[in-house]
Amino acid sequence: MAVAPPNPEHAPAVLEARAIHKSFGRMKAVCGLELAVHAGEIYGLVGPDGAGKTTSIRVLAGLMGADAGEARVDGKDPMRDRVAVRERIGYMPQQYSLYGDLTIDENLAFFADMFCLPEKEYRERADRLLALTRLERFRSRRADALSGGMYKKLALSCSLLHRPRLLLLDEPTNGVDPVSRREFWDLLGEFTHEGMAVLISTPYMDEAARCHRVGLMHHGRMLVEGRPGELVRGFPHSVLRAVGGDREGLTARLGVHPRVLALSPAGSRVRVVVERGGEAEVRALISEQGATCEGAVPDFEDLFLARLREEES
Amino acid sequence: MSAARRFLTRWLALSRKEVIHIVRDVQVVYMALGMPVVLLILFGYAVSFDLERLPIGVVDQDGTPASRHLTEAMTAGDAFEVRERLSDASELESRFRQGKLKAGLVIPEGYGRKLARGTVSESQILLDGADGTTAGIALGYAMGMSQAESRRMLESSGLAPELAIQDRVRLRFNPGMKSAWFIVPGLIAMILSIMAVMLTALTVAREWERGSMEQLFSTPVGRLEVILGKLAPYVVLGMVQVLLVVTMGTVLFGVPVRGSLWLLFGAALLFLVGMLGQGLFISVATRNQQVATQIGFVTSMLPTLLLSGFMFPVANMPVPLQVLSAVIPSRYFIVVLRGVLLKGNGVDVLWPELMALAVFALVMIGLSSARFKRRLD
Repeated sequence: MAVAPPNPEHAPAVLEARAIHKSFGRMKAVCGLELAVHAGEIYGLVGPDGAGKTTSIRVLAGLMGADAGEARVDGKDPMRDRVAVRERIGYMPQQYSLYGDLTIDENLAFFADMFCLPEKEYRERADRLLALTRLERFRSRRADALSGGMYKKLALSCSLLHRPRLLLLDEPTNGVDPVSRREFWDLLGEFTHEGMAVLISTPYMDEAARCHRVGLMHHGRMLVEGRPGELVRGFPHSVLRAVGGDREGLTARLGVHPRVLALSPAGSRVRVVVERGGEAEVRALISEQGATCEGAVPDFEDLFLARLREEES
Repeated sequence: MSAARRFLTRWLALSRKEVIHIVRDVQVVYMALGMPVVLLILFGYAVSFDLERLPIGVVDQDGTPASRHLTEAMTAGDAFEVRERLSDASELESRFRQGKLKAGLVIPEGYGRKLARGTVSESQILLDGADGTTAGIALGYAMGMSQAESRRMLESSGLAPELAIQDRVRLRFNPGMKSAWFIVPGLIAMILSIMAVMLTALTVAREWERGSMEQLFSTPVGRLEVILGKLAPYVVLGMVQVLLVVTMGTVLFGVPVRGSLWLLFGAALLFLVGMLGQGLFISVATRNQQVATQIGFVTSMLPTLLLSGFMFPVANMPVPLQVLSAVIPSRYFIVVLRGVLLKGNGVDVLWPELMALAVFALVMIGLSSARFKRRLD
């Protein structure tokens, strides 16, 4: 996957969040979120379900009030300056949120009117978006008759009609096939060229690599933040790949080994993240179980799993 | 673009979207146009306070020309129809139990002889009191007819009777005492209130359930725009229903339109906005289609049916219920409808009711806008 062009960090910050807290009853959904997204930058909010990604995005969109902390979109408070902020953001919620009984054209026209786009501007913009998303042929098809990937592209188009300064995407590729996911990311790249800032949440680690910067969220807190490439390069631990042998015995033994940070079985292989300095020990254990073992290049998922483990212990 | 233009653009777009929802949901169309017709036919024909062909059993123990004459007199109109002739009064009760008869006329032996002698004679009327409404109406008919028969007999025997008080009764506005004339105005109120509350109770809750509300709230749209955008199409639909029901009432049941139709539609508009506002309020507060439907039904249909004066006069209710009925808009709307349709009343008479409807509408729109938060928490 192609990485989007670098260093948008020098551009002005479109979105800033400082020490945002949000609880639901006794459950702390977000604790002290700090975040800045710059013009032209794609910032990925990565984390498992329940990490607080959706709540963070809703607070930043002004759909929920924070308990403490402040958010700024182009220097404006999303709760106090609602209209100004809403004119600047495009938002795509996680669940289906368009009108299923309206056609593609009708959905686009409706949201264009919510932003009061002039007719001519709307036509041009809608034509361009539909061309880019290759939805032109389906203009008169109802939204609920679209495939998952097409629906997401329509939702993206609806949130881009008014040329927002900031695009907030909450797990937009959830439940979408890999080809459509790739297409979706290519589209995002197109639009950030125009200087739009994007905050996107995703549970998929491979997608994190396509962001300019990522933040790992867990239990409402930001664990690590940085450029994905640099984060992976700075990964202090090593990764092994065990092939063959008695897989059940192997995973059972490795699972309780104190030096093993993460285990992910993939087909006949087991991917093992080993704490720095413990490589020899683990290699020996793998050979004992009759499996062969080779070194692997760490990727983002290894980093993520290892960080989660460190956090939990 | 000016603020007013923006407001109008969004209002129009929201209304247009709502119209698409309505038109593409066949169920809503059926419900909106089919239900008034079904209700009107059901209520108009089935709910009738007119008595027709009530089965009566006759126990004629006298068997004289005089007793036969009385039986004929009682059953001369359409009210009673002789189903059975029995020999013993005790048989009547078992027929009542089986539901075969609703009334009984017992003429004891000696009826004719006493009459001929010029003394007071007796006959007995038995009624099935389990069905109170029917029994009450039947009693009125039976008494009336036996009195008329009495007078006729006195006249024919030359004893010209002069009652101390001569009642000259004239029923104004509904001289034929036709039930339909009385029911159709109430039915208009009932249909409108059910439809208005139910349809709008669903619409906002549906957006919450489907997730589109979240998307909508991320745009600069204002809550008054959303409320008015949702209201407008249903106001139009409601007015179509008024037209439908009034037309059917006139054509099928001969209900007169003595006052101004403009006034009628104006009042209907006020009433509709109030009821739609009530539906919106329920929808905004519950955010759940099922709960909204149930609350909508209980707060629209039941009060209109029971507390508005549609079926039972408000003045006959216990004081707490009378107080409750004061906040039910259909109570005022029914007064306006009967006033305009049957009495030909104008604004000069009906202004307090119109005011009450307007106040209710304003309060409901205000409440639902206030309660309608553009946020998810």
